[in-house]
Amino acid sequence: MATRRFGSPDGWAAGGLAAGLLALLALASVSLFVGVADLTPGRLLDPATREAALVALLESRLPRTAALMLAGSCLAIAGVIMQMLTRNRFVEPTTAGTTEAAGLGMLVMLLFFPGSPVVVKSLVAAGFACAGTALFLRLLRAIPPGSPLLVPLTGIMFGGIIGSLTAYIAHHYGLIQSLGAWRNGDFSVVIAGRYELLWLTLALSVPAYLAADRFTIAGLGRDMSRNLGLDHGRTLIVGLVIVSLISALVVTTVGSIPFLGLVVPNLVSLAMGDNLRRSLPWMALCGAGLVLACDIAGRLIVAPYEIPAGTVFGVLGSLVFLYLLLGRPSRAA
Amino acid sequence: MSVAPRFRFSLLSALAACALLLGVAAPLRAETITVEHAQGTSEVPLGPKTILVFDLAALDTLDTLGVPVAGVPEGVKPAYLRKYDEAAYPKIGSLFEPDFEAVAAAAPDLIVTGGRSAAKYAELAGIAPTVDVTVDASRYIEDAKDKVRLLARITQREEEAERRIAALDASIAALKGKAKGAGTGLILMTTGGRMSAYGPGSRFGIIHTVFGVAPAAADLAVATHGQAVSYEFLLKTDPDTLFVIDRDAAIGRRGQAASVLLDNEIVRRTKAWTNGRVVYLDPDSWYLSGTGLTAMQAMVDEIAAALD
Repeated sequence: MATRRFGSPDGWAAGGLAAGLLALLALASVSLFVGVADLTPGRLLDPATREAALVALLESRLPRTAALMLAGSCLAIAGVIMQMLTRNRFVEPTTAGTTEAAGLGMLVMLLFFPGSPVVVKSLVAAGFACAGTALFLRLLRAIPPGSPLLVPLTGIMFGGIIGSLTAYIAHHYGLIQSLGAWRNGDFSVVIAGRYELLWLTLALSVPAYLAADRFTIAGLGRDMSRNLGLDHGRTLIVGLVIVSLISALVVTTVGSIPFLGLVVPNLVSLAMGDNLRRSLPWMALCGAGLVLACDIAGRLIVAPYEIPAGTVFGVLGSLVFLYLLLGRPSRAA
Repeated sequence: MSVAPRFRFSLLSALAACALLLGVAAPLRAETITVEHAQGTSEVPLGPKTILVFDLAALDTLDTLGVPVAGVPEGVKPAYLRKYDEAAYPKIGSLFEPDFEAVAAAAPDLIVTGGRSAAKYAELAGIAPTVDVTVDASRYIEDAKDKVRLLARITQREEEAERRIAALDASIAALKGKAKGAGTGLILMTTGGRMSAYGPGSRFGIIHTVFGVAPAAADLAVATHGQAVSYEFLLKTDPDTLFVIDRDAAIGRRGQAASVLLDNEIVRRTKAWTNGRVVYLDPDSWYLSGTGLTAMQAMVDEIAAALD
């Protein structure tokens, strides 16, 4: 790995990535000092207030900021992997039934083991997400090639079916509201001890990055990738597991952020093309930055209450989704 | 063509016979009274035999007063009303949507609607005398008591109702005295791992407006599903008592999901936690049958016990 070139060979591209990282860090420090509790750099330095400020910083702000960046970056990565594997630019966990399947798993846990730790809930949800995504990929085989819009439409309908089944069960047990909560990415309850699972998504991003070339090749299609010597089936399974785990971890800890995995990869690949190894760091960076920005906005608009980051992003994301869908048909597939 | 007029004639004569019978029977059957309710006035029979109830609070009240009920809605009921889930009590639709055929088949003397079923009042009133006992949230306890009295008057259980209302009033007065010295309170609902806060004037606001607990956050906007808040908000408002409604405990494991959510370093720093006053409210009375006679007494008793 070490002998390979990291990112673009061009010096200015590496510089660009560094600048992007700096911008992200700036945004992250804004995130650290925006919120309800009294936390300012001044109060951190003043010995009289330091202890209370430190609690707010360590227990609430740092975890929240980390969770935002982790969720944003890994959802973007999950999105682009799905797009490569399905050879369709409109596919991501929320348009392929993955998120809904994870939600069904979450509901099952809420019904039967409401007090179980988040880790257990996440793993069960990941199992459901995996099964849901596999079923979606199976469904895709029945779709005639060359109809790129059919793929996300099928996925959204498939997700809708799982979603309504979930809603039916939830309604029966009076849990409709709990259902709404994790359908919407909300970081208001992220504190130390309640988000750490998201670090696993960082661990999952490593194999995703290492396998990036394979996903790029798999994106050329089954026959082409076989000709190039790739085990297409295995690549598919690896990608499927990574995507499902990421979606389930994010859904169970903070909820889903619709269209993020679609908007970010599309915008980045518009600018940089489809070489995943080159564009993946940018996708992670942009995903993290967008979610951070949306959450900061959500915290400021109705302070001291909150608008969930998922809602803020949903408004922006669906607009970009429509633009990509209607405005640029030539880029479909 | 030739059969139709004859058929119509026989139908008409049958109807006429029925009308005649009814006309004779009515004065024998029961005395009627005129009552005022949430959607106008109705003439209802005094001491109705067959009562259909669409509202859980009304079911609570009638059950408490010992009035037999002939039909109830399907769906989740408070634990103390679970006997109505049995097949012996015919099901007449959901809390929102009456099963009109079942309603008509039961040939009710009185139908009671309220809250979620209030929208179906007009249709039901076309079947049988109907009263709507929806409570005006702006005068929560007062109007709830009026609705109890209304049902008691129709079912001739006024004495029992007044006895219970007097007991309720006495415990509210005692609670108010206790709440005065108990510091501030914050109402928090947890659901799906999220939290939202409710203020005075909200659906749970009687804790502040009627029971007299000082609100820790006075400017909370009134919203059906509360205001999403963070743990930092709890730290900042720092209430003396935290009233928690665990929405996920719908299947009977009260406080289980919520206690996992609230057991952390930040909540442990609030006064409510250090005072041992994180109170998990019973969702049955707060959520399902809120303005029923037993539910109201349970709510008052619960808050009073929490402030001891």
